[in-house]
Order: sequence, then C-alpha cells, then structure tokens
Amino acid sequence: MADRARRGAPKTADRLGTMLVAVPYLVQHPGSVLAEVAGLFGVAPEQLRRDLDLLFMSGLPPYGPGDLIDVDVDEDDRIWITMADHFARPLRLTRSEALALYVRGAELVATPGLPQAPDLAGALDKLRATLGPETLDAEGLIEFTRGGVAPEHLDLLREAARTHHRVEIEYFAASSGAWSTRTIEPEEVFPSLGNWYVAAWDRGADAERLFRADRVRSAVDTGERFEPRGLAGAGRDLYTPGQDDVPVRLRLHAGARWIAEYYSTVDAVEVEHGSLEVTLPARRLEWIAKLLLRVGPDAEVIDPDALRDELRALAERTMARYRD
Amino acid sequence: MAGNDRMEPLERLLNLVGLLLETKTPLTFEQIRETLEPYRQEKVDSAKRMFERDKDLLRDFGVPLQLVDIDPWGGEQGYLIPKDAYYLPEIAFTPEELGALLVAAQGGDENTAAERAVHKLLYGADGGVLAGLAGGPLASGSDARSGLVLAVAAAAQRRRRISFGYRTSQGKASDRAVDAFAMVFRGGHWYLVGHDRDRDDVRAFRLSRFTSDPEDRGEGSASPEGFRAADHVQAGPWDARAEEQAVIAFSPEVAWWAAGSLTGATTIGTRADGWVEVSVPLADEQALAGLVLQFGDEAVVREPASLREAIVGRLEAIRG
Repeated sequence: MADRARRGAPKTADRLGTMLVAVPYLVQHPGSVLAEVAGLFGVAPEQLRRDLDLLFMSGLPPYGPGDLIDVDVDEDDRIWITMADHFARPLRLTRSEALALYVRGAELVATPGLPQAPDLAGALDKLRATLGPETLDAEGLIEFTRGGVAPEHLDLLREAARTHHRVEIEYFAASSGAWSTRTIEPEEVFPSLGNWYVAAWDRGADAERLFRADRVRSAVDTGERFEPRGLAGAGRDLYTPGQDDVPVRLRLHAGARWIAEYYSTVDAVEVEHGSLEVTLPARRLEWIAKLLLRVGPDAEVIDPDALRDELRALAERTMARYRD
Repeated sequence: MAGNDRMEPLERLLNLVGLLLETKTPLTFEQIRETLEPYRQEKVDSAKRMFERDKDLLRDFGVPLQLVDIDPWGGEQGYLIPKDAYYLPEIAFTPEELGALLVAAQGGDENTAAERAVHKLLYGADGGVLAGLAGGPLASGSDARSGLVLAVAAAAQRRRRISFGYRTSQGKASDRAVDAFAMVFRGGHWYLVGHDRDRDDVRAFRLSRFTSDPEDRGEGSASPEGFRAADHVQAGPWDARAEEQAVIAFSPEVAWWAAGSLTGATTIGTRADGWVEVSVPLADEQALAGLVLQFGDEAVVREPASLREAIVGRLEAIRG
C-alpha cells in the first residue's frame, strides 16, 4: 500500500536531490557545460535540461520577475545561474550518506599500493572533523589500517595497463611451484581480498591469465603497444576457467572450510557435521596437493584418484626433508 | 508543458525549500498555503495532505524541516528550515582529495548513498576534479556486499542490537544476537565487533559469513571501557606481536615470495645450497605448521623442535 502510494514519488525525489546538489555546483562554477555536469551528477543531460527549465520558474516570494532564479543555457550548452543565493550551498550530508562514503573510503585507504590512498585518507579526516560526531561518529566505530606494503612492481604494471604496453615478467606460479618468464598484456590491475591482481593476456600461453602482483619478481616494460581485448577486471572471479581444467571434488571438514571461502569453488553442497563438498577447478594437481598437505585430515579427496597419489608422494618427499 | 498550468511537484518542492530557508519567522501551514500557489489551488484537506507528503519527502532527503513554536508562549507552531542545519559547512578539500572521494564513491555495488554524499561535496570543487576522473571507479577488493556493510555499520553507529544468521569458519550455522559496537576492515574482510548476547562475550563476525541480512532488535549497549575493536579480530598465525620465532628454510625457487608473503618474516641468510633461512614470528604452532606444509617439499622448519615434530606428525598421518 505504502509502496503503491510512493511509486511515482522516487522520481521527483531523485530529481529534487539532483537539483539541490547540482544548483550549488552551477552557482559556484558559472559556465559549466551541461553534458559534463550531467555526467558528474549521474543524470541524463535531457533530464537536467528539463529540470533547469523548471528551476527557472521557481524562486522566492513574492515570485515577481525579480524574485525568480535566472537560468540561462547558452548556445554552447553552457549554464549560467543567478538569483539563487539560497541554493548557493548544498544540503548537509545525512548520517547514512556520510557513513556510506566513509566505509567505502576506509576500504580503499586500507588497500596497500593504491595511489589515491593518501588523498583519500586526508579527505576522510576532513570529513570527520567538519561533519562532527552528530553526523559522522567514526572515531572508534570504523577501524582500518592505513598503507601497508605494496608489491614492488605495482606501479610499473599499473602504468603498463593504462598505456597498453606489453610487459615481460618473471613470475612465480603457485600452481606449478616454478618460476617462468612471460610476456603479458596487462589490461587491469586491481585489488581483491588484500592482494593485487593483474588481469592480462599471456602471449606464451595465448590465453587469459590472472597474475598476483606480489609474485612478480621482475617486470620490464617492452614499450610495445597492444590492443586490449576487454578482459574482465575488478569484481571478477579470481580463477580463470580453462579447457584443460581438472575438476577436483573435495569434502572439507570444519577446519578446512576456509578453502571454499578463499578459492573459487562451484557446486557447494552442505553435508552432515558441518562439512562441505565442493568442486575446485584446477589447471594442475600439484598446488591442490600442497593445499591438502596443509589441511591434512580436515579434507578428503573424492575425485580424482590421481590427486590422492600426488598427495602421498608429496608427503613422502616432504618427510625426506626432515630426515637429514 | 503546453496546456499544463499546474506546477510540477519538483518546482513546488524547490519553492517550498526556498521559502522555508529564507523566512525570518516560522510559517504556519496557512501562511505557506497563502504564499505558494500549488497549495492554494487544492481544497484545504487535499492541500494539507500534499504538504504532508512534501514534508516527508524533504525530511527523507535530509532536509531539516522543523516545526517550532512561533511565539514564546507556545500558542502556535510554524515551519522553517534553519540555515545552519541545512547548509553543508565549508570543507576545504584539495582537488585530489575530492577526486579520490568521487572515485571511491563510484566503486561499490550498491553505492547510491555514497554517491549522494560525494555529490553534495562537489560544489566547492576546482575544475581539476573532472579531469582526475579518467581512471574510472575503483574496486576495493572487499568480499562483502556494500549493502550489508552499510546496514551493519549503521547499526554500530546507532548502537543497535541486531540478529542475523551466521556460519563460523568451522561451518557451524546459528542465529546470533549482537550489540553492535564497531567495524574493522582487515585483509579485504569486514568484521563486526560486538557483544554476543548468548555467549555473553565480545566477538568478531566476518561479514562474508553472514547468512542473512541483519534485523534490528532494539537498543544495544555501550562498548566496555577501553574497548578497541581491532583487538577482537584474530590476527593470523604469523601474528607479528608473538615473542617466539620459528626458523624456516625455503628452497631457492620459492624463497623470494615466501618470505614476502609471511607477515613479520625476516631473512637470516642464504645457505651454500641456495636455500634461504627466514625467521618468522610464531603465535600458533598448528597454524604455522599448516602454512609451512603448503610449500610442500620446498620448505623445512629448522626450529623449534616442537614445530618440526608437529609437521612430521601431520605428514605421517597423510602417508597412512
């Protein structure tokens, strides 16, 4: 009922919201270009134009010609607003708006190696100081670490992704436990769960690969340009499925359930006693064997049999290291 | 707009905000009705309803529209919007700071509140902010939906008690009732720290392990004296504050990144055979044994003996 009554309303509310923030911006930035302002505030240019027309008819009592806001959109689509002193500054932030912005900012400031982090940290401090505890009571409420150590070659990789330059890297692949030299076409460098990743095309493998920036031992910009293929970046699955993947079915008991949180798994089924069965697609069995060595009796291999053999052999080789 | 002599709601609302911001004295509904034409065109009852809706809409939006006594005797009340409560205070952001905020606000999956916030801050921007946006939105790499993060953060801010479904890292699922105190962001994870009512203890809950949205259960409680949220979020087994050290040798192949991936590790030296010995803070023996084992035969614990024994014991169990 309430929903139905409000159905038409959000649109007016959204438009009002845009006006209450865009008008102060336009007063402070005379001659701004309509399309740019629309982009900045996330509205359609035509909507903004229509609403500026309405603004032109509003004002203050007694609403005579001299009391109305004067809006002029000239032939170059530049906007000039006068007689809008009461809208020269925007509305305060609500508590939930301030909190939302602070929380997003905190996530980013806590990501080591983010170039904007120092500016963002400064901005959050100012925001908190100015808005005061009645709007943003973040002291002791939201804790995050600042900075941290960024991977050594992060800047070079990021710059190469921006300029579409091929990079030659020395990379340690945890899946094979070996170093290799590769030429990659980095398309996006992004953080996920505390690590930085490079979404790239691997020229040698002729396939899409995801690289962890902290496992790049050396990186050289080749200066060669490449044409981006639009590989998925931030927000993507951290595992790139390939044709040769082996589906590994595991039963994870309580102490190994973290594997399902940490790695990309599919077909998860809760089974008795808090255990979980998952399929972990793997390009190679070696690294899964190492993972299983770590969790020991907390995980069982359901499939394939070859993984059990691999695990036993790895345990044997590792044991030999302790017999010297 | 041909043939439309009724004022659009947006125009009416803009005029209402302007009127109540600029008025010297609080205005009664009758005075507002006399001044603003759209309310005059309606019958009193429907005009009053329209005004009530407008008022709610503005308040939802954060406009501090207040009803106050007109005279000291409290005989009559009127509406106004106090300027100091309405206008955003001056915040002298640098263009870089504002650009960083704008980029941050755009990155979430449910980011409207953060975007609205940053839109309000833009008015003081130098032109440079627009140019700084070429980089596009940023992902933070958090593993929890931003809608959930916000709901829980808001509960902590308002000191509410919330209930939610939760599954521990050990797989135990249960419903929790928690007095929300604070949020901690660490290693890509958001945690709620609060008083768990059933366990009568302060606990940390990783948001990615919530199995339901939180429900409000009323007033919460205050955090204890000297409370620090971060103290309640478990550090890893490589906790850098540990006093005891373990010495681990890594093969030349893995040494470079193994040392870098263990927080607090310091390299002791390289042996004649190329293996690299590293000193690592030891807080939890079983957990560190697991970490070392994940390097397979590329890592060997040198000391302490108890850690070597723990590893050998686990290897024997696997060999069967």
